[in-house]
Amino acid sequence: MKKIKSSLKDIVNDIEEFYIEDKHHFLTLNGLMIDKDVIEIQWIFCEYGKQNSESVFYIETTLSNTIPSITHILPSAIISQRELVDMFGLNVENSTKGLYLDEDSLTAPLGCEI
Amino acid sequence: MSKKLINIPLGSQHISLLEPIKFKFACENEKIIEVDSDVGFVHRGVEKACASKFKFDAVPYVVARICGLCAITHSLSYTMAVESLLEGEVSLKAKYLRMLLVELDRIHSHMLCLSHVAENAGFEALFMRIMGDREYIMDLQEKISGNRIQFDYVCIGGVNKDLSKNIEADIKDILQLMRSKIENYIEEFSTNWSLSLKFKGIGAISLEEAYRFNAIGPLARAIGIKSDVRLESNLLPYNDVGFEVQTMDNGDIHSRNILRLNEILNSITMCENIIDGIPQGDIQVKLKGKPNGEALVRLEAPRGELMYYIKGHGKPILDRVRIKTPTFSCIPAFMEIFKGENYADAPAILASFDPCMSCTAK
Repeated sequence: MKKIKSSLKDIVNDIEEFYIEDKHHFLTLNGLMIDKDVIEIQWIFCEYGKQNSESVFYIETTLSNTIPSITHILPSAIISQRELVDMFGLNVENSTKGLYLDEDSLTAPLGCEI
Repeated sequence: MSKKLINIPLGSQHISLLEPIKFKFACENEKIIEVDSDVGFVHRGVEKACASKFKFDAVPYVVARICGLCAITHSLSYTMAVESLLEGEVSLKAKYLRMLLVELDRIHSHMLCLSHVAENAGFEALFMRIMGDREYIMDLQEKISGNRIQFDYVCIGGVNKDLSKNIEADIKDILQLMRSKIENYIEEFSTNWSLSLKFKGIGAISLEEAYRFNAIGPLARAIGIKSDVRLESNLLPYNDVGFEVQTMDNGDIHSRNILRLNEILNSITMCENIIDGIPQGDIQVKLKGKPNGEALVRLEAPRGELMYYIKGHGKPILDRVRIKTPTFSCIPAFMEIFKGENYADAPAILASFDPCMSCTAK
């Protein structure tokens, strides 16, 4: 897989420049705790019909930052964004809590030590 | 004068649902105008457990429990991701045996979907017949792996059990029988009047919508997108066993049904070629080391693309196991397809998506 580093400020522009609707498809968003407060966020894409074509855009940020939404480029990203909110307790633009976890569930299970 | 919208739920418990998912439809008379969904009824924290409670070599048996229908694709995707970070090479024989089980799994999973779609059209007899025929494949899986579902056939370095000559002969006999049965089902799904009335032109997605909402798997192939990980990955030797991407043009329930039947026929061909061409070699090799680094593996599950991402740092417990399941990716497309359809058709449309909520919520 090809990893492409970006920043909180540039990530939306980078994805907008890269993404071609009938060429790429969006796999998912992934979060990876690097330190107690620092997380790597990955936007994973691949090409239709092409072998080993995974491209991963990633940024490193703190848990308190708001992650920009890419739903104006990719409407289907909403479900991955909402998963990120529930599982890591992140703030993601345009994305509400409660898709995966109930109100009485553990908060942000992947963003903390259990 | 604007018409009043009526909110009608479908699920989380509903007679037409196999698993809990909730759709909230805003309807104008019978027509669905807006859709909202809730998918998190069976969340079990598998990703967290795999990166905190279990050693990396036990995780294949944990992820096999995510889904009863596509257990093999879960354990195999994870296993191949780990293997790419270890020293050594899995034998070609083990790859063939893995492919055999993946394709048998696809056959019975597609048959479950087709039977459920028939049931939603009120065709109980067809439902019972397809479920009855599906048992032949379940029996084969039991003979090969020891379990009908959720089998722990794959291990890191290969597979856990070899095929005997008797089982090879049984597989060939049953596949021959299944081929004629599936050809009959294609005829029946294509020409039966009540099935046509229920399915043709219903629950359709356009090519533009499919691209826009990132449709994958049978949903995308039914409208002509050649999206199949078996084509996009060289981790398993699919080119050597007769794999052909199946596509249809209309994107409606009927197209999805026929596409699945055609895929079953292709899977039968592949299984026959696998049995005829299994190479000599070990079924398992010992791979050295512990996962260090990151790996991403995709595999074509019966419902579409399954992705596993893992990251390790040379310790027995991984830092991260990320699982992206096919139904999860398709939910935005599902919601779009419902818009403009009649509420009465919603259960049949949903069944034709073949959603798997245990995979999605994991």
